[in-house]
Amino acid sequence: MNLQHRVSADLGVAESPSPVKIKVSSDLNVLAQVLAWFDQFKQPTLPYSVWLQCQLALAEGFTNAVRHAHRDKPTDTPVEIEVTTRSQAIEIRIWDSGSGFDLEHSLSTRPSLVEILGEGGRGLKIIQKTSDVFSYTRTSDHRNCLLMIKNFLPMTSSLVPG
Amino acid sequence: MNSNIKVIQPAGVLDGTQTHQFRGELDDIVNTGARVILIDLQNVTFMDSSGLAALVTAFKTVRSAGGKLCVCSVNQQVRMLFELTSMDRLFEIFADRDAFNETLNKV
Repeated sequence: MNLQHRVSADLGVAESPSPVKIKVSSDLNVLAQVLAWFDQFKQPTLPYSVWLQCQLALAEGFTNAVRHAHRDKPTDTPVEIEVTTRSQAIEIRIWDSGSGFDLEHSLSTRPSLVEILGEGGRGLKIIQKTSDVFSYTRTSDHRNCLLMIKNFLPMTSSLVPG
Repeated sequence: MNSNIKVIQPAGVLDGTQTHQFRGELDDIVNTGARVILIDLQNVTFMDSSGLAALVTAFKTVRSAGGKLCVCSVNQQVRMLFELTSMDRLFEIFADRDAFNETLNKV
């Protein structure tokens, strides 16, 4: 299976990661700005449905940092976001400086998404459902990093409309 | 024509910053006696889980008042969110306002 190789060759895209970063304040009003910033990662080989899932995961990760991790922190506490696009995956990292939480435990105690009339707690479940890799780890600089990776099968140029 | 039918049309990003206003608007409408409420999402560009939670609250508020909540004009992003969370099974979703009105006229 040398699909990856072929696609890279076709598009002239090297598999070298290209992280793009943004630093924003802990303010839910910044979400629109974060969403607009994420527009730059639309690309012909990335299916729009996959981009939409990543956009939603990003929004849930960001609002989670603001509403929970930085709940008791001043608004100017930075949330750092980094997106790395690879030929067959998108990686999103979100750093907060909260006290951290046990993601596995939160996911297992959270009501299932099937509990349709529940009013909250869907954010983490949505990220879990839209990502292939989902983790939340303490970093050496005393922050937390929410990592979400979404794999995708690149669209070949013949499938790109227009 | 029918004062029991009311439309709410939120706009932009429907997230945690908008839910308070949305809930207030909905409560006012329910209190005026509206029993069929259409949430027209035509101008909503993006919805997150907080926006979705506000819709679920709206659904329950309207239902407990003996009414019905419908949704129309959802974009691809909102549809994806509904499907991920099974909300497409909870809400009655119409393609647009015309489709909604057509259904009403048949009743």
